[in-house]
Amino acid sequence: MTEPKRKLLIPPISAAAPGALYQQILDGIKREISEGRLAPGSPLPSFRGLAEDLLVSVITVKRAYEELEREGIIYRRQGLGTFVSDMGHGRSREVKKTRARELLQEAAREGREAGLSDREIVQLLRDVIEEKEELVHVRKRN
Amino acid sequence: MSANAIEIRGLEKSFSKFKLGPLDLTVPTGAIYGFVGPNGAGKTTTIDLIFGMGGKDAGSITVLGLNHMDDEVRMKQQVGYVSPELTFQSWGRVGKAIQFVRGFYPSWDEKYCERLLDAFHLRLDDRIATLSFGARIKLNLVLALSWRPKLLILDEPTVGLDAISKQQVFTELLAAVGEEERTVFISSHSLTDLERFADYVGMVKAGKMMFEGPMTGVIERYRIVDFIAKGSADFSNQPGLVVQSRQDNRWRVLVDVVRTPVEWIQSRGATPISDSPVTLEELFVALGKD
Repeated sequence: MTEPKRKLLIPPISAAAPGALYQQILDGIKREISEGRLAPGSPLPSFRGLAEDLLVSVITVKRAYEELEREGIIYRRQGLGTFVSDMGHGRSREVKKTRARELLQEAAREGREAGLSDREIVQLLRDVIEEKEELVHVRKRN
Repeated sequence: MSANAIEIRGLEKSFSKFKLGPLDLTVPTGAIYGFVGPNGAGKTTTIDLIFGMGGKDAGSITVLGLNHMDDEVRMKQQVGYVSPELTFQSWGRVGKAIQFVRGFYPSWDEKYCERLLDAFHLRLDDRIATLSFGARIKLNLVLALSWRPKLLILDEPTVGLDAISKQQVFTELLAAVGEEERTVFISSHSLTDLERFADYVGMVKAGKMMFEGPMTGVIERYRIVDFIAKGSADFSNQPGLVVQSRQDNRWRVLVDVVRTPVEWIQSRGATPISDSPVTLEELFVALGKD
């Protein structure tokens, strides 16, 4: 089995973080793919390799891979390993976009429940985006 | 190689105050299997019976495809055992204990042993009598892992270990099953760790299995649901529901969604308040209470 040279940059898998453990792995891998650090065709670590890296059971990693396979983001080759599919980049972007939309829907609902107007909600989103940029800016300066 | 490292079918054993079984248990090869249950539920009894300590009244136990009694020697040549009750104090120093145990096992892996000692911060010239309780358990693990048994049976290996040591132990167990065909069967109360590290889980209570299966499947099978019942509707006798608490018509129940879907509660006219997933620990508490 060919192991990728570079380790995946998946955030620590923690029971304290939101979502089931396999979900956190799933999200981590999707981010690696959608942000282009894992190109189409590149191999993913073996179940056992990633389980040891992330300190979770093999079955948790397997579960995450199965989900990614179902979504068409990765594919398995018997005896060779698991690879990012050609559509992986687009698919994981699409999935991320859907998720972002859902979160914004929720944010809009919360905003309305707080009595904010549509304009105020949009302004809030602008503020959030700008805040983020500022943060990146500060980090670069340091 | 058989698909299952341990297969227990219809196991029964009666004592004056306690009856184990009939109990079925299946540990797939290559898995880390967490065996959980309240104190006195029958975990150690089950492990003792696997090793032929005390005769069983009924049922069968197959280990690595071998009958645990007829092929006792061949079985024990391939199965490692760790328990906090094992003490190697009379061996004096760590190095001496290793020298002694190594002699029994042609498969002893010198390099692996060194790496484990290093990972667990044990030294060959440490006096065993002066080691902390946790360090002695780690020594036990080194002695059991170093000859690379195909199956490792651990009875409460993390009891009394701090969080760092526990993580070191589970890391080594993950690495151990990383090689195909090696299996770890572990009885433990470290439920949060097990939920993270174990592939399979089985819970025993009062001598009977409450559930068994892949960790994710078991966890996702249960929900904790709060709702307000309509009128005086009673939910206490529905199979698949375990009532956790009740105040007038407000209920909290553990739902086994395979037996009763959450929608069933609403179909009885109840108003749902919340529907949450469970952790292994919550499941243990919910099913472990009498």
